[in-house]
Amino acid sequence: MEMTVLIGLDAASYILTLLLVCIGLVIIFGMMNVVNLAHGEFFLLGAYTVVLLQQYALPFAVILLIAFVVVALVGLVIEELVIRRIYHRFLDTILATWGISLALKQLVIVLFGPGSQQAVAPFAEPVAMFGITYSSYRLFVMGMAILITAATFFILFRTRVGLTARGVIANRQMAACLGVNTRRVDRLTFAFGSGLAGLAGAIMAPLMSVDPQMGVGFLVPAFLSVLVGGTASPLGALWGAGIIGGSNSVVAAIWTPVVAQIAVFSIAIVVIRLWPGGVTGKRKR
Amino acid sequence: MSGYSRQLTVLFWAALIASPLFLDGWNLGLLSQLMIYGIFALSLAFIWGQGGLLCFGQSLFFGLGAYAMALTTKDMIPGIPATTLTGLGLAVILPAVVAGLLGLALFKGRGLYGAYFGIVTLSAAVIAERLAINWSYIGGFNGLLDIPPLRVGWGSWQTELYDPLPFFFVVLVAALGIYLLLLRLERSAFGTVLRGIRDNETRATFLGFETAEYKAAAFAVSGAIAGLAGALFAVQFAFVSPAILGFALATEVLIWVAIGGKTVLLAAFIGAVAVKSVENVLSDTLGQYWLLVLGLLFVVAVVLMPRGLLAPFLQLPLPRALRLSGSKEE
Amino acid sequence: MLQVRDLQAGYIRGAPVLRGLDLDLVRGDCIALMGRNGMGKTTFVKALMGVLPQISGSIRFLDQEIAALPPYRISNAGIAYVPQGREIFPDFTVEQNLAMGRIGKRKQRNEPVDFVYDYFPVLAERRKQLGGTMSGGQQQQLAIARALVGRPDLLLLDEPSEGIQPSIVQEIAAILRRIVEQEKMTVLVVEQNLDLVRRLADHVRFIENGRIQSGVAVEEINRNPAMIGRYLSV
Repeated sequence: MEMTVLIGLDAASYILTLLLVCIGLVIIFGMMNVVNLAHGEFFLLGAYTVVLLQQYALPFAVILLIAFVVVALVGLVIEELVIRRIYHRFLDTILATWGISLALKQLVIVLFGPGSQQAVAPFAEPVAMFGITYSSYRLFVMGMAILITAATFFILFRTRVGLTARGVIANRQMAACLGVNTRRVDRLTFAFGSGLAGLAGAIMAPLMSVDPQMGVGFLVPAFLSVLVGGTASPLGALWGAGIIGGSNSVVAAIWTPVVAQIAVFSIAIVVIRLWPGGVTGKRKR
Repeated sequence: MSGYSRQLTVLFWAALIASPLFLDGWNLGLLSQLMIYGIFALSLAFIWGQGGLLCFGQSLFFGLGAYAMALTTKDMIPGIPATTLTGLGLAVILPAVVAGLLGLALFKGRGLYGAYFGIVTLSAAVIAERLAINWSYIGGFNGLLDIPPLRVGWGSWQTELYDPLPFFFVVLVAALGIYLLLLRLERSAFGTVLRGIRDNETRATFLGFETAEYKAAAFAVSGAIAGLAGALFAVQFAFVSPAILGFALATEVLIWVAIGGKTVLLAAFIGAVAVKSVENVLSDTLGQYWLLVLGLLFVVAVVLMPRGLLAPFLQLPLPRALRLSGSKEE
Repeated sequence: MLQVRDLQAGYIRGAPVLRGLDLDLVRGDCIALMGRNGMGKTTFVKALMGVLPQISGSIRFLDQEIAALPPYRISNAGIAYVPQGREIFPDFTVEQNLAMGRIGKRKQRNEPVDFVYDYFPVLAERRKQLGGTMSGGQQQQLAIARALVGRPDLLLLDEPSEGIQPSIVQEIAAILRRIVEQEKMTVLVVEQNLDLVRRLADHVRFIENGRIQSGVAVEEINRNPAMIGRYLSV
């Protein structure tokens, strides 16, 4: 019984973590049609922001906010310098963000060294529940993932900014003809998606060893989640993280993490074969 | 500019053939290594430049070839004799089969394309690397050491190619042979269909082509060539490790080809040779900044020069049969 | 309020569709632009909205040069556009579609949109319906209403009768006429449908080979319908 609860909690934790990482990815991929391979490095930057700021004894909530803003600003700069020149060249967005990823990672190595750093969790007492004890910070991460996802959906579907962004995605030229500054929307959307990646990195930092390679570990499961979930709607992130994260945790608990990865990859291929646009995707083309 | 492309192409190969006259053994070894990377770059340039398939996991096939060569010649695969020829054969066939099957699985029916293909191949490479790390029979994290050199000869007369010079000529023959083979493929009907699919897959389908099979076949050819490059790599270093299956090498080859130019085979080949040479020279002085510079250079090349830096100079004229009035090569 | 001088515009460099077009509009004008297919009617409207890649010449609107501005600035300067094919947002509700019409405009952003429901009662009944599920005529009304909520000074309509049954075309023409009179709107409508033109416009201009060739008052056409054939038949 305890074992089942533990596996269930671990699975939920992994799924929600993946969701946290994916949500920014889906925003940028689904709404802007940009495959952002630098997403892992945005995550990384968020984590390093935490390491850096914890030296100044700031409240953790403030640190999270700063991490979001810092990485959003980095995203803004990258959008202005690179991404806006290649919106119409879909494949090149992958290549360019790939190069950015390489450069950012190397920049972090130059600035902080290749070694791993430690971020401190603001609280770590284990809590007892369902007959087991579980890390309170993990529970916090799970709560934050739900909160951030809910907030993102609220912004997209219940606010004026969200409506504007969705209008631009649906029909860019018409939105412009109605007076919407589409360039501004692009910048904001990309910065927002980047900021979410940074926030995810910041939240996850105390649970991981903060080193220049930490973004890569999430890249593959996150992208497979996006493929499986589809990018037609941000809901795809929920589906993708659930399918990929769930199957990964379960298989890893029964066999080994490597078997889990192979299983997840195979599942992803099968799902993509059955639903080329992802589970939420529209059946077009 | 491309008026001299033919002369430049011939000149480049002539210089390679003549290079043993000027270079010592150490530098010949280095040049062989660069040409192996060049062959690897050719494999990616073919699938990406001609077929429009952006493969982010080309290292998977390179690594498969290297491991196949290593395991065969170290006599670690039961039932397969440990000879150079069987090793090379397996190093070509195994990646080709894997690529062909993966291609069919991905392209058949409502196939996936573009970014999705890139992400799937990238994932495959990363997972293959993890698998190799955790598989102790093939050496695990440490990889395999003491891979024997190439052995040529017949019956009782056999010799091992320890010296840099004969190995250099083996690699040169492989590089030139593969270059000519791919050039021929590119200029054949097969290549024309492939470019047709690249430019407009729907139209190619309407014209009656089984686009999935064409793409899978091209992918298999590309995998075979990457595998051969991997096998030569394994022989030269006498060592393979999981890193050559993964992500880092996949990135490198993309950069070489993007900087050189994906649509022109020789440009991709020289791209690999050039970037690697510059890296050998500069990585000492620039240290950690080298990768930073390379990453930024790559971004600049992608954004501002999507055709690559060298391709405009090396674009060969079309064969006469494909030269229609008003048609122009992209 | 609008002066177009020597406008050259098109889709490809070196192949302009409009070749030196001149046009003047005075506030309160309601002008129909007619001409055969391929003469540059739609191109002209698009050039005014700033969505063409190639453009040269001068477009002055309310004492501001707008020929080089991006579309959103032109829209904010006071020109609204109802495109051919309507281009409403199919996945948005009627309300959301209307919101898109003023969302990019600082001045109108917080103003009520209810006044358009007076002109288009059918939209008022369907506030929560998705735009894509409505009939062609309703979508056309939605597209016009969406243009109006931004409180433009000049309204551009591109083929508002296209694909809509004649009785609805008459209804839309009547509504548009009411809007022109009550809102003191200046209107430029590109149209092939003579019925709509006669019900809506005061003047007709004919476009041929990328230039405005001539113009007549609508009464003239009413008196002598045959003259229209000179411009519209091959």
